[in-house]
Amino acid sequence: MMPVQNPIDDSRQNSVAIRLEDVSKRFRLGTIGEHQRLTEAISSRLKSLFNPHAGASNTQPKDFWALKNISFDIQRSEVVGIIGHNGAGKSTLLKILSRIVTPSSGRVGVQGRIGSLLEVGTGFHPELTGRENIFLNGAILGMKRTEIRNRFDQIVEFAEIGPFLDTPVKRYSSGMTVRLGFSVAAHMEPDVLIIDEVLSVGDQAFQNRCMGKATELGNQGRAILVVSHNLAAISNICSRAILLEQGSIALDASPKETIRKYLQSMRYDAGRIQWEPDQAPASQEVRLHAVSVRNATNLSSANQVDIDQPIVIELDYEVLVQGAFNTVQIHLKDENGVFVFSSANAPSMSLQTDETFGKPLDVARYRTECTVPANFLNDSRYILSVFLGPQVGKPTIQCDSVLAFSVLDTGAMRKEFLGSWYGPVIRPRLAWSSRPIDSY
Amino acid sequence: MVRVRRRSARQREPKDGLFTVNRATSAKAPKEQDLRFYGQPDPLGLRQLKEAWDSRELLLSFFQRDLLIRYRQVFVGVLWVLIQPLLGTLIFLLLFYFMGAQGTASGSTTAFWKDASVILLGMLLWQLVNNSLRDATGSLVNYRHVITKIYFPRMLLPLSSLLCALFDLAVGGVLLIPLAAWFGEGVHWSTSWAGLLAVIWLALFCFGAILWLSSLNAQYRDVGYVLPFLMQIGMFLSPVVYGFERIESSLSYFWQVVYCTNPVASCIGLARWGLLGSPLPPILGLVLAALLTLSLVVSSLVWFQRSDQWMADRI
Repeated sequence: MMPVQNPIDDSRQNSVAIRLEDVSKRFRLGTIGEHQRLTEAISSRLKSLFNPHAGASNTQPKDFWALKNISFDIQRSEVVGIIGHNGAGKSTLLKILSRIVTPSSGRVGVQGRIGSLLEVGTGFHPELTGRENIFLNGAILGMKRTEIRNRFDQIVEFAEIGPFLDTPVKRYSSGMTVRLGFSVAAHMEPDVLIIDEVLSVGDQAFQNRCMGKATELGNQGRAILVVSHNLAAISNICSRAILLEQGSIALDASPKETIRKYLQSMRYDAGRIQWEPDQAPASQEVRLHAVSVRNATNLSSANQVDIDQPIVIELDYEVLVQGAFNTVQIHLKDENGVFVFSSANAPSMSLQTDETFGKPLDVARYRTECTVPANFLNDSRYILSVFLGPQVGKPTIQCDSVLAFSVLDTGAMRKEFLGSWYGPVIRPRLAWSSRPIDSY
Repeated sequence: MVRVRRRSARQREPKDGLFTVNRATSAKAPKEQDLRFYGQPDPLGLRQLKEAWDSRELLLSFFQRDLLIRYRQVFVGVLWVLIQPLLGTLIFLLLFYFMGAQGTASGSTTAFWKDASVILLGMLLWQLVNNSLRDATGSLVNYRHVITKIYFPRMLLPLSSLLCALFDLAVGGVLLIPLAAWFGEGVHWSTSWAGLLAVIWLALFCFGAILWLSSLNAQYRDVGYVLPFLMQIGMFLSPVVYGFERIESSLSYFWQVVYCTNPVASCIGLARWGLLGSPLPPILGLVLAALLTLSLVVSSLVWFQRSDQWMADRI
């Protein structure tokens, strides 16, 4: 809580800002929220008192270790990224660091004040005015009154809420509320800053401001922890990255190495759907076996594909009737349901001729592959629908939203621009050229 | 879209000062022993008191917030603090008048005002208990969205409710006690220290009670439901709307002592004795009540410190 304001010396670079010593966090599955009523808690205590075996069968507490034996130091002026799958323990780790959650064992030491950009606007009271909320929110974040007073003008200016300073926050637009919350948080000048992009609210522009703030504070020699799914941002902002896997540190190394390992570990989940013959989508002539997605260079399917590799969509199906005709069509939509493209294996829609199109087929198994070029889709999640039928546009087998896959940004298109690609549905590489022309 | 500067620039940072970063506001070099470790052993819960004291500015902010919110969009504003006990007193006075109880029925004006001041003092002190317990019990749960996102000494939330209730008492006391005393027999200034002592004692009792209630309510919401009911019973178990004389005249000494182990009853009795010259409750009862209050406060500190560790997990 103590803001130290003495001049700095260079040894600061090597001093510990955060230390975790063998930190573990255990959650008891099945017991959380079980005894929400006092009477139940008492009666279960009584039951177990009189009959120690009663209830043991139905309320077996299962331990779940959200974090297991985590130890690391973070130096001042280090910017550390934390990456990992959902459920790897990232959020728990951040909550333990910011003291919200107490570790089951181990201990956490922090030098100075911890601030985080994940609770923007937390604690705003709708009835209070902007001015009152600045003081309240600042105090919750751990600022002294005099600090808030000194930075008050900057906070108001940054939030661009000048004329509404004495209006209750409940009359603010949501954008104004977020701006004000961010402005207060950004001016608290913590010694350790925690940014959880996954949890933070706000649009992309706002998240970029968070990242911008991280860079700024990092330059001031503060320790920063970033949790982000934006691997490009991690690799560019951070000087070190920690990969969490099932509550343990899988790798603590340079961002490049850590990201590589993370991307490898992503491959565990097959981007493939396969049906048993009796449950498969089928028409009288054709039966679908499997649909899968993979990178062209990778033979095994994955629900995560790299942006700079061609993406191959594979359909396996069986023709049941001799001489049947078949066409394959796909629809790709993004997560918001925006229709990205539709394509079919018809000659006029294909770069190469599909042998099976428009020809009577033998009874056999077939595989149709469709290649989406590299550097074409954006780093987003896409949902695939497939259609089969004797004619394009008249499918007899419809599989809507049969498969979802994510395109991962490997940083291939980020050599010059590190900001966000959020917004566009596709991100194609196009031919660009410039030359001087004589206009006079 | 924001351009983010490449981090690697910092690693290349030369010593010649070409890339001197602005460090004017940075902190000095902390040594390792500057690390504050969370969750130091704190069996008696005293460290949390120190932490709460260290962030008293936040407590003040919460207090300010609670006060401001209370009187937003309220027509008569702060007058509510006075209206509630005044109306309560009036209702009970009328009730007793029609039931022919106490001095009210005798028709003497002095007796009437004396009764009024006795009831009013009881109401004000009871309001301290009632309001602080009522508001504090839900204080943690209502602030769940913040508790699960930021750490601050959680004790401050129920404490802020207690401060608000004390504020009400102060306003009501300053304005109403002299008023009642003016028409009655006047305030016994020589023993008024007992009134102050009673208020401090009652505040300590409330402190212990709200730490227990708010943290229990964080896990078991039943506490919030059962509390209004308990408060109603408590009001009649304490000499709020009747004087201690009634107890004295109708109960044996043993039962008087038992009655007075209720700290609220003892406090109100003590305050009335000090300020208005009512009979003093049995000393033994006062001592027992004081011991009870002490154990409540100590146990609440220990309990709150322990519950603080699972607060964010279970709230």
